[in-house]
Amino acid sequence: MEPKLKFKAVGQPIRRNEDERLITGHGRFTDDFSLPGQVWTAMVRSPHPHAAIVGIDSSAALEMEGVLGVFTGADLAADGLGEIPHNPVPSTKYDMKLTGRGGTPVYIGDHFLLPTDRVRHVGEALAMVVAETRQQAQNAAEAVMVDYDLLPWVADTAAAAKPDAPRVWDALPDNVLVDSSFGDQENTAAAFARATHAVSMHYHLGRVTGAPLEPRAALGHYDAASGRYTLYAGSGGAVRQKHEMAAVLGVTPDKLRVISFDVGGNFGTRNRAFVEFGLVIWASKKIGRPVKYRADRTECFLSDYQGRDLVVEISLAIDAEGKFLALRSDNLSNVGSHCVSLSPLSKGSGLITGSYDIPYATLRSRAVYSNTMSTQAYRSSGRPEVNFALERLIDKAARELGFDRLELRRKNLIKPSQMPYTNAVGSQYDSGEYEKNMDRLLEIGDFAGAQTRKAQAKSRGKLYGIGSTNYVESSIGTPKERADLIVREGGIEIVIGTQPAGQGHQTSFAQVTADLLGVPFETVTITLGDTDIVSAGGGTHSGRSMRHASAVISMAVTDMIVKAKTILAESLGVAPSDVQFEDGMFRSPATNRTVDWFELARLAVTLSPDYADGVKVRRDNEMHTPVFPNGACMCEIEIDPETGGLEIMRYATVDDVGRCINPMIVHGQTHGGIAQGVGQALWEGCVIDPDSGQPLAAAFTDYGMPRFDNMPSFITEIAEVLSPTNPLGIKAGGEGGTTPAPAVIMSAIDDALRDYGPPGISMPITPVKVWTAIHKGAGAI
Amino acid sequence: MSAIAMNVNGSNVRKEVGDSTLLVEFLREHLGLTGTHVGCDTTQCGCCVVHLDGVSVKSCTVLAAQAAGRAVTTIEGLARNGELHPVQKAFREHHGLQCGFCTPGMIMAAVELIATYPGRLDEHVVREEMEGNLCRCTGYHNIVRAILAAASQMLGPDRVVQPPADHMPAPRKSEG
Repeated sequence: MEPKLKFKAVGQPIRRNEDERLITGHGRFTDDFSLPGQVWTAMVRSPHPHAAIVGIDSSAALEMEGVLGVFTGADLAADGLGEIPHNPVPSTKYDMKLTGRGGTPVYIGDHFLLPTDRVRHVGEALAMVVAETRQQAQNAAEAVMVDYDLLPWVADTAAAAKPDAPRVWDALPDNVLVDSSFGDQENTAAAFARATHAVSMHYHLGRVTGAPLEPRAALGHYDAASGRYTLYAGSGGAVRQKHEMAAVLGVTPDKLRVISFDVGGNFGTRNRAFVEFGLVIWASKKIGRPVKYRADRTECFLSDYQGRDLVVEISLAIDAEGKFLALRSDNLSNVGSHCVSLSPLSKGSGLITGSYDIPYATLRSRAVYSNTMSTQAYRSSGRPEVNFALERLIDKAARELGFDRLELRRKNLIKPSQMPYTNAVGSQYDSGEYEKNMDRLLEIGDFAGAQTRKAQAKSRGKLYGIGSTNYVESSIGTPKERADLIVREGGIEIVIGTQPAGQGHQTSFAQVTADLLGVPFETVTITLGDTDIVSAGGGTHSGRSMRHASAVISMAVTDMIVKAKTILAESLGVAPSDVQFEDGMFRSPATNRTVDWFELARLAVTLSPDYADGVKVRRDNEMHTPVFPNGACMCEIEIDPETGGLEIMRYATVDDVGRCINPMIVHGQTHGGIAQGVGQALWEGCVIDPDSGQPLAAAFTDYGMPRFDNMPSFITEIAEVLSPTNPLGIKAGGEGGTTPAPAVIMSAIDDALRDYGPPGISMPITPVKVWTAIHKGAGAI
Repeated sequence: MSAIAMNVNGSNVRKEVGDSTLLVEFLREHLGLTGTHVGCDTTQCGCCVVHLDGVSVKSCTVLAAQAAGRAVTTIEGLARNGELHPVQKAFREHHGLQCGFCTPGMIMAAVELIATYPGRLDEHVVREEMEGNLCRCTGYHNIVRAILAAASQMLGPDRVVQPPADHMPAPRKSEG
C-alpha cells in the first residue's frame, strides 16, 4: 500500500537543519578532528610526468627532528596491501556498456596506495613521511631522495590516442582502454546520404578540477585492543570508502569504521578513494598512533581527481526544412594515469542526441590513459561535454544554413506525446516538456527585448551577444539504498547512506519523511556519515540522493504503518484490520482511540522491551531506472572590444527537476551549478605545459575561479514534470545548472563576435583570446 | 618557542607556541576553535578570515605572535548570549551557505564590511568588496542577498540598495 500523501513540508522553502552548526563554527569537517597522540604525514610526490622509480633514499629524512618513519610502496607490498578497487566501469542495467577493443574487458591499470615501479603523473605520491608535526613531515618529505629514470610521456588527449604515443601501461599495446560503438550504422549512413545538409565540428572540452574549498584530509586510528581501524575522511559516501579501504587493507569491512560528517564540497571529485585514506590507517597501525593528513591547496590541484577532458568529432545530417535526420559522434575521453571512473564517457554517450528527435545515430566512445591526474565524474559527469558538442553544432548549422537558431531547435525538440522516448543510442527519457521549457525561457530571459539591449550596448561601445541552449541529462547512480526508520516517543529518525556535501539532505529528507508519516517537520532527524550507524548505502553522486532516499523512505514508511497497526492492535486488543491510518493518526473505531506516532512508540515500549529504543523498520530498495532532468538556459553578455573583457549581463534557466522537495535548496543548487559551468567556459583550466608536462595551475592564484565580482545574479525557474519512475516523481536538481552552461556562454560569445570571422575559440575564453579574435581575427588564436 | 597572550572571543589566553605558528593554527590546534577553516595556502580563499582588533584578516597569513596583546574574534565568538549575529541569521534565512566550509570566513568578512563601509551598500559594492572570499557551492547569488539583508537590518534601509526581488514563481507543475 502506498501511503496517502498530504504535502505540507514538501514543496516548501524550509530553512535548513544543517545551518545552525555551520554558521556558528561548529561544523564537523575532517580536519576538525584530532585524536590524542596523533602525528602527521606528508607525501613525497613525483615532479615528473612519467618516470621509473630506481631508488628511494630516506636516510636523511629519517635523521630529521620529529620524523617517525618513511614508507614506500615496497613497505605496503610487504604488508600485502591491495589495490584500490575503484570499479570504474559503469554497470547498472541502464549504463552504456563500455568495453575494450572488439568487446574485450576494459584494462584497468593497478592503483596501489603507493607505486613501486613507476610514477605516471606529476604529483603522484610515491612515499609517505610520518612525523610529530605537519611541518616536520613536510620538511622531511623534501629530504627524501628519489632516483628517477625519466620516461617519455603524453598528456594531451588526442596525442595519447595515437598508436605510437608513449605508453602509460605496458600491458596495453597503446593507451586506448575503451573502444566501443553504439547506434545504427546502416540507417545513419543512409540518412547522411539523403540529407540536404551535413555540418561537422571538432572540439576539445578541456580539463578542470572540482576545487571544493575544503582540502581533502584524513585521520586514521588503529585500536590494537579491538583490532579495529577508524578513518575520518570526508567523501561522497562513507560506506563505499569502508568497503574499498577494507579491501586494500585485506580486512573484513567490520574492522573499519569510516566517519564522514560535514564535507566541504564534493562535486563528484571526492567520490573515489584517495590513496591517503588508506595510508593513514595503515600507518597508524605501523606507528601505533593516530596519523593525520591534510592536503595543501597545491596538492589538491595536482592530485584531487579532475573532471571533463573529452575530444569530440560530431556531424549532423539535416534536411531542407531543417529537420535533423542523423548524428555521428566520436568521443574520446582522457582518464588520466589510472582509470578510476568511466562514468563521464558512459553518461555522455547515452545523451549524444540531446533534447532532439534525431532518429539515427552512431557513436564511437573511446577512453585513453595519459600522464595526467586521473579524471572522475565532475558535476554533471559527461553531460556538459556532449551538450556543448550538439548545441554548438546546432548554432553553427543555423548560421551556415540560414536557419533561425531558436526555430531550428524548436522544430526538432522531442514532444511530450513522444514520452517515454527512446533515443538513437537506446536511452529512454522518462518525461519532459522541452518546448514549454524553451517558451518559458524566452519569456523570463526577455528575448523580445534583445534588439533594444543590443542597441543600448552598442551605444556604450560594447559588443552584445545572446545565446540559448536546451539540455537533457541523466541521473542514474548506484541502484541500491537502505533506510532505517525509527519511531521514538521523542521523535523520528532516518538513518541513510547518502552523503551530502552541502545539498541539505538533513532538511529535504526530513521534509519527505514528515509528510509521509504525517508528523511535523521539526520532529524528524536524519543520521548520516558514520558507518557504525549507517550500515549500507550508495552515497551521493549522479543526482541520485533525493530520488533514491525518497523512494526507500516511502517504502520504509509503508512497512512501518503495517508494523504500527500490528503493535496498536495488540495494545488495544483489536485486530490489525480494525486499525486505520490517515494523516498521521491511527484510529481504532471499535475502541474510539486515536493515537499519533509518538504515542504509538510509547505504547510499544509497554508491550515489549524490544521497542525500548523505538519501533524500527529497515528497508532496502534497488532502483535501476534512470530519470532525465531537462531544461533550457540563456545568457546575455557584453564585451569591451578594447580589452576583450566580458561581462555576463543576464543569465536565466528553466529546470525540470521532477517533484521539487525544497525550492530554496533547488534554486541554490542551480546557482552553484551555473557557476561551475560558467567557470569552465571562462576561467578554469588544468593546463599542462606541452614542453615539460608540468601542470601550470597549482594554486588559486593561477586557476581562475568564479568569484563574487565576475558572476551575475541569476533568474532561475523550476518546472515540475513528475517522473513516472519513482514514488514521488523526482528527477534531480543538482546538475542542471552546470550541464548547459559552457554551451550557452559560447553561444553568446559567438553571437557577440559574429562580425569577426568564424567561431572557434577554445575554452576557457579569456579576455586575451577575445581581444585577439576582435583585433587579429579568430584564426590568430 | 615563545609565550604569547591575546584575547580570543572575550577570554584571555596564554600559550607557548613555535615562532612560525600561524594564527589559524593557533586558533584551530592550540585553542580547538575549528570554526576557522584553512582552504588554501596563498591568501586567496578567505575561509580563515577572523577579526584582529575588529579588522578582517586572513589568519593563514598572520603569525600567532603578531596577534599577541591584541583581540581576536572568530566565528565562535560572533553570537552574543546565545543570540546569533544578524549576518549569521541572514545567511540561514537567505540560504547563503551550502557545504558551509567557506561560511565562517564569509560571515566574518561580511560583518566587517557592513560595520566599516562608509557609503551606501549595493550589490555591486558587495561583489567588489567581498572578492577576496571564494565559495564553490552557491554561485554567490544568495550570499549577496544575505549580506544586503543583514546590512539593511543593521544600518537601516536608507544605507542599503536591495537587489531586485528574486524571480521565484511557483514551479510549473505537470503530471508528466
